[in-house]
Amino acid sequence: MFDTTNFQPLLARRYTLEVRQQMAWYWQALVIALALLVGMLISAAILVSAGVPAGELLNEFVILTLFDSQSLRAVLFQAAPLIMVGLAGCLAFRARFWNLGLEGQMIWGAIGATAISLFEIGPPSLRLPLMMVCAMACGLLWALAPVLLKLHLKVNEIISTLMLNYIAINFLLHLVYGSWKDPRDSFPYSPQYKVFERLPELFDGVSLAVVLALVVALFVLWFTGISRAGLYLRFVDSSPGVARAVGVPVKRVILGTVLLSGALAGLAGLMITAGQEGRLTHSFYAGYGFSGILIAFLARNQPIAATVVAVLVATLFVAGRSLQVFYQIPFSMVQLIQAILVICVASSEFFIRHRIRRIQGGQV
Amino acid sequence: MSNPNAIRLDSVSKSFDGFKALSEASFTARWGEVHALLGENGAGKSSLMNIAAGLYAPETGSLFIDDNPVHLKGPLDAAAQGIGMVHQHFKLVKPFTVAENILLGLRHLQAGTYRQRLAQTAEQITAMAASLGFSIEPHARVDQLSVAEQQRVEILKVLLAGARILILDEPTAVLTDAEAENLLTTVQNFAHQEGAAVILVTHKMNDVMRYADQVTVMRTGSTVASLKPQTVSVGELVKLTVGDAPTPPQIPSSRDAGEVRLAVRDLSSSGAAPALRGVNLELRAGEIYGIAGVGGNGQSELAGALMGLPEPVSGEMELVGEGDLNSLSAARRRELGIACIPADRYSSALAAPLSISDNFAMGDVHSGRYGPFWFLRRKRIEADTAAAVAEFDVQGVRSLQQKAALLSGGNAQKLVIAREFARTPQLVIVHSPSRGLDVRATLAVHERLRSARDAGSAVLLISEDLDEVMALADRIGVMSAGRIIGEFAQPADRQAIGQAMVNHV
Repeated sequence: MFDTTNFQPLLARRYTLEVRQQMAWYWQALVIALALLVGMLISAAILVSAGVPAGELLNEFVILTLFDSQSLRAVLFQAAPLIMVGLAGCLAFRARFWNLGLEGQMIWGAIGATAISLFEIGPPSLRLPLMMVCAMACGLLWALAPVLLKLHLKVNEIISTLMLNYIAINFLLHLVYGSWKDPRDSFPYSPQYKVFERLPELFDGVSLAVVLALVVALFVLWFTGISRAGLYLRFVDSSPGVARAVGVPVKRVILGTVLLSGALAGLAGLMITAGQEGRLTHSFYAGYGFSGILIAFLARNQPIAATVVAVLVATLFVAGRSLQVFYQIPFSMVQLIQAILVICVASSEFFIRHRIRRIQGGQV
Repeated sequence: MSNPNAIRLDSVSKSFDGFKALSEASFTARWGEVHALLGENGAGKSSLMNIAAGLYAPETGSLFIDDNPVHLKGPLDAAAQGIGMVHQHFKLVKPFTVAENILLGLRHLQAGTYRQRLAQTAEQITAMAASLGFSIEPHARVDQLSVAEQQRVEILKVLLAGARILILDEPTAVLTDAEAENLLTTVQNFAHQEGAAVILVTHKMNDVMRYADQVTVMRTGSTVASLKPQTVSVGELVKLTVGDAPTPPQIPSSRDAGEVRLAVRDLSSSGAAPALRGVNLELRAGEIYGIAGVGGNGQSELAGALMGLPEPVSGEMELVGEGDLNSLSAARRRELGIACIPADRYSSALAAPLSISDNFAMGDVHSGRYGPFWFLRRKRIEADTAAAVAEFDVQGVRSLQQKAALLSGGNAQKLVIAREFARTPQLVIVHSPSRGLDVRATLAVHERLRSARDAGSAVLLISEDLDEVMALADRIGVMSAGRIIGEFAQPADRQAIGQAMVNHV
């Protein structure tokens, strides 16, 4: 006889969710890898429907960008500012401070660097270091108000940092359309930096920006992993209440970490103006703030992982540009793909934290 | 003459993490009576009632409703059997209205659209509230109601869901005297006139004497007596609650108490209903000063203030020779040898997601023992942690990099003590150090406190467990309504302390 007691049609089956205590790291890695794969398949489908031949995708994204030495240099070059904003995101998020103002801090960093260049402050040999210091100071100052407001008046930093971006953006437009506009033509950008004001190529075409980004990554690794501040930061990250009770100077740790995050974002701004564009332009920052958050998120705030993810995002940027040239795909498609990848990885968190189990018999 | 049984629990046992919360507890409530369940904190009252409400499954023992055996699979099952529990901490959705909250708890919905159902529920609420003798606005948002009104919403919620057996867990703890009187009269009417069964979980003698028809007394996980409150005196009830078993004699300090280390003067907290109302005490080197009292009389706030958690306080906490405790930074407190062992380990002592060695390192990192600011000496941290884990017998450590969250309660507590006692402490502030620990771990913790005292530390022990205070303290202060209302020197009379604890409530 056929036993029907244990058989149920698919829709009548019932499932229950259980919270998982822990999942081995290799299973977590597998879940995230699967999520990325799903994200890439969705992205590929969108690109194909937008007119990119399916057969060309692999060619554009992998072969032409990573196996061609000139493209590889372009990827690394592109990766430098992304590594910086990614690290800036990692630091702020570890202090439980949602710094959505990375773009504003980048803009001020770039404005600070450009001011040194425009007003010709310091001798040529010291000009570039001075620009770097000024960029970091300006980024830091732009992060100062939100962090003080949060610590002393509990003002939500998500809103304050985001709103300050608009002030920074409009001030940038005011400069490049106004007093800082290059007098030689009518485009909205500042006069070109001089040769000694630009990040030089060091060896084999690799820019100083790349080396600088790697040095900063090592610095962040030291800060979060080896110094006492790192221990404090781990306590603040895991539980501010416990941190306070066991004697971590919570406010000072948050203040210092967030200011460092702002300084790194400012330096990222300089990397674009002094490394790529050679001048202050009206939209050099576009997309970097979001990318920084995304990189920090995908890297789980780990500096080494952030460096790797930033290189991958840079690949996407470079490939996106060539798609723009050859297939007229708008550059916002790159942001769309980023967003899809983030949503997929964020959703995979659900499977890491929960277990789905079928209920026998369909009863609670 | 007596009514039929409504609910009966027979020889119920339950343990948590090796700790026996209930052992062979039996309980019977009848229809039409207000039945008080009386006992000290941790006597097992809430555990027993959580079993009756289907939240916990008993390990052994059985449950009967109307003398029929019943097996509850969960709270929904209990609701279907007509059992409703109002918890001490309300379970309401704050931004929802009264009617929405109650609709959420209904199992059998009437036909109609959501709006129609909501309107029907609102009518039912008004009618039920009127029959109970109070009024409530069904469309008011819950977060705009007073605590007493929220409690009424909870009661209406379980009654409209069809409860005939109403369990109230410490219902008067959050109410003013007038509100409490009101509530108890209401539930008394509900039992006497509607014939329902009301179970009142409490530790307040007055409520029991005035409103209960029957009282069951619990002590250390067992039910020790069931009687009519009119037939006994308050003194006899106190005796039943705190027990008269001879406690093992406290082991006195091997040396005389020294100079005063900590003087607390007129310590008060602010607010409309301040938890601390002028605490005065002096703590000497080489003694354990125990603070006994029924839970919720300001003990947690006192512990918080002394441990430097942000609490708005007035008054003085003078650390003799160093000034007020509040003015000392965390690093300075460590340097002076002030050790804190809070009651809730994972909200104020250990960072659960961090490793055991990270948690241990926090104890001495400020002093520079683990390297300068720019470098953590991991090897030294690991060596110190390993030594402390061995010395303080922290079990279940597979690796020092393992998360602290994976330790059991007792071992997490041992880790806290290992960290706090790594350097001989001058002043120890402990709050309920054995909460949730098994007997062996409790003994180990007690031994550590005694040896700290014998080494000359001044120990302030705040505990709601009278046995613990009796066993450890050289002097005992009884705390009630935010004050120390009496001090007892050892050997102290347990009955007298028990009496002092409840008389002022």
